[in-house]
Amino acid sequence: MSDILSLSLEDKLYRTKYEPDAAHPHIRVNSDYCVKCGDKPCLFFCPAQVYKPNPNDANLVTVSHENCLECGTCRYGCPFQAIDWQNPDGGMGVKYRYG
Amino acid sequence: MDSDDAVKVDAVVVGGGPGGLAAALSMARAGLETVLIERGEYAGSKNVGGLFYGTVLNSLIPNAFEQAPIERPVSRRSIAYLGPGTHMTVDFGAEAWSQPPYNNTYIVNRSQFDRWLAKQAEEAGATLLEGMVVDDLLYEGNNGTRKVAGVCLRGGEVFHADVVVLAEGANCLVTEKARKALSLRSGRHEQDYAVGVKEIIGLPRATIEERFHLEPHEGIALDFVGVPFEGLVGGGFIYTAKEAIHIGAVAKIETIVKSGRNPNDILDAFKRHPGIRSYLQGGELLEYSAHMLPEGGYHALGELTADGLMIVGDAAGLLNMSLYKEGTNHAMESGRCAGEAAAEAKAAGDFSKAGLAGYERRLQEGVVLSDLKKYTEVPDILSGAPGLFSLYPEKVTKLLVDFFTVTPEPKSVIQKRAIRTFLDDLPKWRFLKDVFRARKML
Ligand SMILES: Cc1cc2nc3c(=O)[nH]c(=O)nc-3n(C[C@H](O)[C@H](O)[C@H](O)COP(=O)(O)OP(=O)(O)OC[C@H]3O[C@@H](n4cnc5c(N)ncnc54)[C@H](O)[C@@H]3O)c2cc1C
Ligand code: SF4
Ligand code: SF4
Repeated sequence: MSDILSLSLEDKLYRTKYEPDAAHPHIRVNSDYCVKCGDKPCLFFCPAQVYKPNPNDANLVTVSHENCLECGTCRYGCPFQAIDWQNPDGGMGVKYRYG
Repeated sequence: MDSDDAVKVDAVVVGGGPGGLAAALSMARAGLETVLIERGEYAGSKNVGGLFYGTVLNSLIPNAFEQAPIERPVSRRSIAYLGPGTHMTVDFGAEAWSQPPYNNTYIVNRSQFDRWLAKQAEEAGATLLEGMVVDDLLYEGNNGTRKVAGVCLRGGEVFHADVVVLAEGANCLVTEKARKALSLRSGRHEQDYAVGVKEIIGLPRATIEERFHLEPHEGIALDFVGVPFEGLVGGGFIYTAKEAIHIGAVAKIETIVKSGRNPNDILDAFKRHPGIRSYLQGGELLEYSAHMLPEGGYHALGELTADGLMIVGDAAGLLNMSLYKEGTNHAMESGRCAGEAAAEAKAAGDFSKAGLAGYERRLQEGVVLSDLKKYTEVPDILSGAPGLFSLYPEKVTKLLVDFFTVTPEPKSVIQKRAIRTFLDDLPKWRFLKDVFRARKML
């Protein structure tokens, strides 16, 4: 069992409830910009690490939209506004029980 | 665009947070046919918060604090600095804060609280449509005479309404589109956002009361600045719920991007600080959450009305970022002002911008804009005098620690050294200037 001070992000996201919508990604990245983006801040500013380095191409990122907490940070943090973020469909996505 | 079987109501509210719910409740009470559309499965399921100032709630619903799902009232508060291995706390409270109405300050689980408030709005006569997304507004007329005539739902349905209240919160996609489509005037500065991450950590009731020195009907709100938030404009908080602790960190997105730190790592650094970790020991994580907050303050406020439209709450940027961090109460107050303005407009049969002028007038006369004006400079002070939350508290903490560090030397030697260390490398002129500016934070 994990101590409360040493939980990984995966452990944390596992405790949060979601209504997953695998078939309808609500996030799309215009990778033309990523190729030009040196710092790739999306790799660290997202509280759910939805954006990860693409294992096949270091210039690109992958998107795990199912982990999204719908905070909105990526809509402001991406220097190229390359992230097209839409509200998930009604009732889908994160579902806070405490909030 | 118009389909023959389209529904027409007096008012549509977009978003079931405290802002939208207060608007819907006020309009329904005034006899307007009101529909509130919330994209979450239920109102509250997307919302994050913690400390709740209840003056508006208690005036909308008398003695609401007796029925609302309040976790604990706030009978004590503290402000603390977390240094490198040191810490310093100012802890304060008043006996009256432990008596009804508990200083109007409560700790709530927002998901549960908003859901309760939604029920009150429904009982007042508003119709709640949950699990539906609004994707855009419906307009009539063009350019110069363009007015809002309803909303478009995902899936293509439309709702016609005399007035639309946008209450989408900080992450406000439809509001942004509408500002462009209607060429609404923006504020002097662009809106500035912070992101908050938090955890709900379950602990037995008795453990919480023992660790925080609370009676069963008491609670505490602790605010923190210091080393875990180095390089950021931000801080942390702990609020005690009944059988859980809310712990979170909030920082400006711009400073997160600059510092290269991940919000979850910032929260972890805060949790592991020696001044914090003992509070959490043995706890069980119940939920991890994140949301943005608008931090631009008064100068970032833009135009909030148009023909057939009012914008309230975080979507309007009405959060007060001073030490009070007042978002929910301001959202509710703006929702109420919008609701009352809509009732006036209905009576006069005029939902134009002029007919809705009662909204901004009420905001101007009321607590929301007077507080935002009072704290106009807070966003600039936070970014412009970072020493206020790191260097100075650190120096004072070190002074205290040095002063009380016991060695075989005579006290006079220890004290002189402590004071000398304190005064050395204190940028005195800047210190005075910063202190002068800091009074505006209060
Ligand atoms: C970590 C954190 C801690 C905070 N702590 C405090 C605190 O201690 N005290 C305090 O006063 N404030 C606090 N706040 C701020 C507070 O949460 C907000 O100010 C408050 O929730 C604003 O209310 P609102 O009604 O404007 O928006 P929200 O509460 O955000 O509600 C907006 C609602 O609209 C819905 N919605 C959005 N877009 C659409 C759409 N297109 N269609 C349908 N529905 C939509 C959302 O699902 C949501 O339910 C905190 C915020 C964060 C992130
Ligand atoms: S920050 Fe934006 S542009 Fe850069 S890699 Fe990420 S998504 Fe692409
Ligand atoms: S909305 Fe927040 S959680 Fe979702 S992808 Fe963007 S930054 Fe990450």
